[in-house]
Amino acid sequence: MASAWVGELAQRHLDAAYNLGRWLLGNEQDAADAVHDAYVRAARSAHTYAGGDARAWWLAIVRNCCLARLSSRRRDAQVQSIDAPGVAAALPRSADNEVEDRAAAAQSGARIAAHLRALPVEFRETLVLREIEDLSYREIADVLQVPIGTVMSRLARGRALLQHALAAADTQEASHGL
Amino acid sequence: MDCKTALALLEPYLDNELDRADARELEAHVDTCTDCAAALTRLGDLRQSLRDQTLRHAAPPELRERIRAAAAGANASGAAPPPRSASRRVMPQWTRLAAACVLAFGAGGVSVHLWNSGQVRANAQTQVVRDLFASHWRALAAATPVDVVSSDRHTVKPWFAGKVAESPLVRDFAEQGFALVGGRLDYVGDERVAVLVYRHGQHVIDVFVAPRAGSALMVETAEQRGYALTPVQLGNQSAVIVSDMDHEERSRFAQLVRSAQ
Repeated sequence: MASAWVGELAQRHLDAAYNLGRWLLGNEQDAADAVHDAYVRAARSAHTYAGGDARAWWLAIVRNCCLARLSSRRRDAQVQSIDAPGVAAALPRSADNEVEDRAAAAQSGARIAAHLRALPVEFRETLVLREIEDLSYREIADVLQVPIGTVMSRLARGRALLQHALAAADTQEASHGL
Repeated sequence: MDCKTALALLEPYLDNELDRADARELEAHVDTCTDCAAALTRLGDLRQSLRDQTLRHAAPPELRERIRAAAAGANASGAAPPPRSASRRVMPQWTRLAAACVLAFGAGGVSVHLWNSGQVRANAQTQVVRDLFASHWRALAAATPVDVVSSDRHTVKPWFAGKVAESPLVRDFAEQGFALVGGRLDYVGDERVAVLVYRHGQHVIDVFVAPRAGSALMVETAEQRGYALTPVQLGNQSAVIVSDMDHEERSRFAQLVRSAQ
């Protein structure tokens, strides 16, 4: 059933898959597990690949696996909410990631990363695919399984939200400086 | 080009999704308009900061190894033919397609439908409304909103023959202030539909005509960002008017369309 070409495809676009997973799920372990799940699923459903952009097909599967993890995490969070309320339950972070975050905070990308992380998931994923993975509108539409018009409006909205958040942060920093 | 159009095109321009003609026009506008130039600079700055290398997480070697091991195990059970090389991104810049072409090309996206088969299409009606607005906006953003330019209905109607199941009834309402500009083809959902284009002052009016009875092109009145959808009957076909005219002009035009014979 499984096909060698799916393995090759997954390897070729592993960074893209993992990066998408990191931005959707927030931590290393979940992102790696989701990409592994995606590989298993892709290998099993290799026969449903009907031509077209193979990378978009692969990333669409990765994304679906990430979203499945997100929603099960949300369910878990609801169950635990009596003793562990708050955002922390929805975003488990390993010690490793915290160290990494702190190291990253010293760098120039940290500020924009924090604001990007704070965006609602639909704008975050669209921006990640466009700006970080450099996908075209058509490719993003294929990964997200939405019309191109939706891709365009999500990009516009996402960018506006980011610009707004950055400007607000600037103003705040300036007023603290006084 | 006016600022409204230019602002809508800034992002597709920055994203390399505009064709050359549109890009040139936009560049010409930005050269003379400080507001639009500033907006473009702000978008460029945002792009710059998002392209920071630290934002991209590379896959850890353990994951790479994990996938390799899983693939090696699975391959014992046989292999299927490899796909064509997936790398479509090596296309030279000049082959960039105009957003409109991309949409027309993708609307029927067979592969997308296949992957979607497990997921219920959330709301077909919403989708049609979205497609109609998107088509109208893209046409406004394009250099010209029509494929066949003519104010002569005897040119426009035959142009549609063979392109859609049933050519729409074409009438010019220039005397009443709504001049026929031409027509184009577009996609709504996965149906190819005829679009009649009229002009009223500064307003561009699209009339989407359902290709057959029972078409998906049946919507209720809707509004978005100052643009409105008005369902109407054109001859024996159902149609939808999309424009940014005010309520009064809209109903006057709808009345003309309805009474066309």
